[in-house]
Amino acid sequence: MAEMEVERALERLFAQAPESSDAGAFAESVQRRLDRGWAARRVLIGAAGLVGGVIGASQLIMSNLFSRAEAVSSDSARVLTSGVRQIAPQADWLIDGPAGIEAVWLVAGLAVVAMGLVLTRIIEEI
Amino acid sequence: MSRAERHRLSSLHDVELASLAAAGDRQAFGELVRRHGSAVRALLRRMGVDASEADDLAQDAFISAFESVAEFRGEGTFGGWVKKIAARARIRRVQRNKQLRSRLETPDLTETPPPQDPGRRMDLDEALKGLAESERLCVSLCYGAGLSHAEAAEALNLPLGTVKSHVKRGLDKLRARLGSEGDATEERRGNG
Repeated sequence: MAEMEVERALERLFAQAPESSDAGAFAESVQRRLDRGWAARRVLIGAAGLVGGVIGASQLIMSNLFSRAEAVSSDSARVLTSGVRQIAPQADWLIDGPAGIEAVWLVAGLAVVAMGLVLTRIIEEI
Repeated sequence: MSRAERHRLSSLHDVELASLAAAGDRQAFGELVRRHGSAVRALLRRMGVDASEADDLAQDAFISAFESVAEFRGEGTFGGWVKKIAARARIRRVQRNKQLRSRLETPDLTETPPPQDPGRRMDLDEALKGLAESERLCVSLCYGAGLSHAEAAEALNLPLGTVKSHVKRGLDKLRARLGSEGDATEERRGNG
């Protein structure tokens, strides 16, 4: 047998692996391992999120952040109102409307959430 | 999994199943394991791994394959890709055993085993058992897992020349064995 012939015969013989009688059971055991890993990962992420949330919330409460945020919010609301009035005097209806400056904050908040969603989607696509 | 879902998955091509698996579909990956599990386990056994360890290694290889299935672009076959992962996993495992390196580097000068009973059919598994461990590993890596000589040398952390000579000696022994079996088959055909 020539060398090339032996090489071809070997490749052919290696490719002809007999189908195992327990092929289905083997596939199921792999899938069980995958499922276990997946479940463990979800529990781990959930637990990490919970711990992080609890720590974050306790830090927020302990640092008296809400009263500080209120003060910053009222200051920035004044700046925002004057800014909006200077840029677009005709937008007074928005600020002086029934919802007032809260509507502006709400829109800004929704815009941030929308941007977050877009960013998440982009990261998923990448 | 419902019968309809299983039927749907079984009708898909490996590349389609791999892209579903890359999106997190574990059922699709299960179908790939069903298709290629036997071949991967057979390769490991041909590399000289015993049956239970071969199953264990093959499972690890498929788990690694699932974790990096997004890297499979369908350039080669899915089975070939997983075989390479499994073969490399086998090498990593045996390399933990320090003695292996010295065994692989030392040329094995054992005589070619006598040909089998000519009445038996050409059997790769039996023929491989006649090779030294280093030859069997190198031949299996190059012809079973589809690694080039250079890739096998890199995976085994051996000089390229050493791998080439193991493959050459292994091929010579296999040629003698498979050739004699082939001749015996031809002879039987002629007599029949």
